[in-house]
Amino acid sequence: MKRLSTIFRGITVLILTIGLMGSAGVLVNAQADEIRIADSKGDWGYPNPYRHYPRGPGYVRMSWVFDTLIWKDENGYIPALARSWTYNPDTLSFTFELQEGVKWHDGKPFSAADVVFTIEYFKKHPYRWVPIGDVSGAEAFGPKKVVIRLKKPYAPFLAYVGGVMPILPKHIWQNVTDPKKFNDPGSFIGCGPYKFIDFNKAKGTYLYEAFKDYYQGRPKADRLIYIKAGKPLMTLSTGKADMANIKPDMADALKKNGMVILINARGWNKKLMINHTKAPFNDKRFRQALAHAINQQEIIDKAHRGFGCPASFGLLSPDHEFYNPDTPTYAPDQAKARRILESLGYKKDGRGYYSKDGRPLKIRLLSSNITVAGESMADRDGEVIKHQLEAAGIHIDLVNMEQATTDAKVKKWDFDLAISGHGGLLGDARILNRMINPKATGSVNSARFGANKKLLKLLKDQVAEMDVVRRKALVYKIQEIYADEVPAISLYYPASMAAYSPKKGIKWYYTKGGIGLGIPIAQNKMSLIK
Amino acid sequence: MTNNSTHFSSRRLGLVITFGLTALAMLYLSYSLPRLLPGDFVTAMYASSQVTLTAEQEAELRAYYTEEPGFCSYLLRLFTLDWGYSYAFLTPVSVLFLEALPWTMLLLGAAHIISMSLGFITGVEASWRHGSRIEKGMVGGMTFLEGIPEISTGIILLLLFALNLQWFPAVGAETAYAEVSLLTRLADIGLHLTLPLATLVLAYLPGNFLLTRNSMIMVIREPFVTTARAKGLPALRIRYSHAARNALLPLVTRFGLRLAFMITGVLVVERIHSYPGLGTLLFNAIQARDLPVIQAVVLISSLMVLTIILILEMLYRIIDPRIDYVR
Repeated sequence: MKRLSTIFRGITVLILTIGLMGSAGVLVNAQADEIRIADSKGDWGYPNPYRHYPRGPGYVRMSWVFDTLIWKDENGYIPALARSWTYNPDTLSFTFELQEGVKWHDGKPFSAADVVFTIEYFKKHPYRWVPIGDVSGAEAFGPKKVVIRLKKPYAPFLAYVGGVMPILPKHIWQNVTDPKKFNDPGSFIGCGPYKFIDFNKAKGTYLYEAFKDYYQGRPKADRLIYIKAGKPLMTLSTGKADMANIKPDMADALKKNGMVILINARGWNKKLMINHTKAPFNDKRFRQALAHAINQQEIIDKAHRGFGCPASFGLLSPDHEFYNPDTPTYAPDQAKARRILESLGYKKDGRGYYSKDGRPLKIRLLSSNITVAGESMADRDGEVIKHQLEAAGIHIDLVNMEQATTDAKVKKWDFDLAISGHGGLLGDARILNRMINPKATGSVNSARFGANKKLLKLLKDQVAEMDVVRRKALVYKIQEIYADEVPAISLYYPASMAAYSPKKGIKWYYTKGGIGLGIPIAQNKMSLIK
Repeated sequence: MTNNSTHFSSRRLGLVITFGLTALAMLYLSYSLPRLLPGDFVTAMYASSQVTLTAEQEAELRAYYTEEPGFCSYLLRLFTLDWGYSYAFLTPVSVLFLEALPWTMLLLGAAHIISMSLGFITGVEASWRHGSRIEKGMVGGMTFLEGIPEISTGIILLLLFALNLQWFPAVGAETAYAEVSLLTRLADIGLHLTLPLATLVLAYLPGNFLLTRNSMIMVIREPFVTTARAKGLPALRIRYSHAARNALLPLVTRFGLRLAFMITGVLVVERIHSYPGLGTLLFNAIQARDLPVIQAVVLISSLMVLTIILILEMLYRIIDPRIDYVR
């Protein structure tokens, strides 16, 4: 009996030991083998500053490999290569104290000289994501301190330089004269959490491997893989991907399958571009009539099954800290739109459409599938807007085109109205300059509106105002004038969502203000760190 | 005899000249047509990106990416097998093309072989049982299938076999970067191939079946088939060696022409299943206005049409020697 009891106790101890070892094993194995992220387009270029595509997903793919001085998480700025930073208004300079023990992927040590080199290199070979025209230069003070000097006060410095500029290894890039054609394996040496291993152009797949010597700790997944998959519902439900952007109507089904659904703040707007360089659109009252004729909520309800939110006419998102709640608005009011048109001399013809001096008011509206966060979105916005404007007596000729063709026409001002869209509405208020200033000739989303000189001066002043309170007051005023002028009409913020499987122990999130310049994608590299 | 052979050589010379001129016209079209597309690479890439360009920056980028070689130097470069560099990847176009080609060949080749063999056999068998319930049922079923577009079949198969039953993967050509043995990898490629392949087979099969069946019905009424039957030859031999061989010609033509559309023909299926291939390569290149890639794909696909027509010309004579006698 005693012997039996001893055997029983022995077995119990053995089971407990195995159990403990097992649980310890689970703790140790909190490290995930791999994370798979699905994306419908797949191909976003090679992940280095000069070879990634200039849209958000291209930058995100690069951000795994290259680190910046500072970064953002769901709450705002956090240290990255710089552990602290200060601004000195007297010398117009930012001082960054750098982290200890940072290594490049090839094992060489990172130092302040690399930061100085990067700024000099980007001045010589511009990296379009980082406008450094207002930076006069950089100086290293020992290996762990760098001072970056500005030519003039530049409020968006952290948002547009410090938090976006990938730091290049001097020992690799110093002899590279044509960075766009530099495709040596060394061109992918960064000091980010993941090493770039492969990009298959035909399949649209990317492979990254965890950089075990990463200065913020070993990344949580050994391998990071991007796959091309246009059906996020299927790839997530069948476990082929751990994370993907989703359409709002998929959320319930995926939640039932145990997925976590992320909802982004309102940072991306669908926009109606107006050719204000020609009549009748060069008359502010006519543009205001258009704004009254459009019913934002109806577009959301009819073309997006209610998933979305009407946009502010002042461009900045209501979720932005500089949003002006008193921004003028245009309630949907067909009668008011008609009254304005009639005050401008338009009269209705027999068919119910307006005409003036015997010439019918016929407007061409260009529509195309717009890419939102890297996913091409088909919708019926054009049809709904046509219906609304026609109800107000404006004859609309709706033309559906492929996006690049529409873009080419908008850029050349060869259009009347065009449906477009862009993000960045939660990032730094410099977005207002990019989306209004007539100098932004290369953008098809920018209103390029120079008719209001006061507005242009305010735009110039706000980026030079380093005091947050005073800058906020200027941005408030910009929104008021912009909404009054309506050089373009922000229509709505589509519901932007992502879904992920919690099984791998990773918590994904949307970054405050978006990744980098405001990318509305929930793939922040810090999700895989710490 | 001498007259005849001179006649043949001049006919062949005429054929070669015709094909040569057509090839030259295609070369010119592949050069000029993509240039007529509205927009350019810099607009397509940067215009609605997070980057805002000033006029100078835009002009600088355009100067970097735009190359206008002129038609003559374009021709010269082609003859030295230099297809240029893709603007988007800054890698040789030939590399991109050769990366995509095997997947298109695998998908399209398998789809054609399966749909042609199945269509041929079922067509022959159905025509042999002309007027029977089986034949009527098959014709009805195939006509119904013929009316369903690939996009519908593809999505139905995806919903059923990928989402609900989860028997086959929904997207891709293989599990990306899976660390497995060669055999497991091949099995994985096979699994991924199943749904896109089934979609294409279901799209091509009805046409092949109906074409074979119709041709066979005409042939089995011919006196030589009656003679073969009267001689007491086995039914299988009469069907395949005597009758079907004569009904094969339209099917071979269809096969060739379908193969010629290998780029555009599979685009829908490639898009539904996120399957790599030439269709996707061309689609992305057009979206990005990547001129060198568009040129190369358009040129190669058009030359392929030409080559296939030439091969068909030769094949006809082998399959049906009467074509040569007529001449």
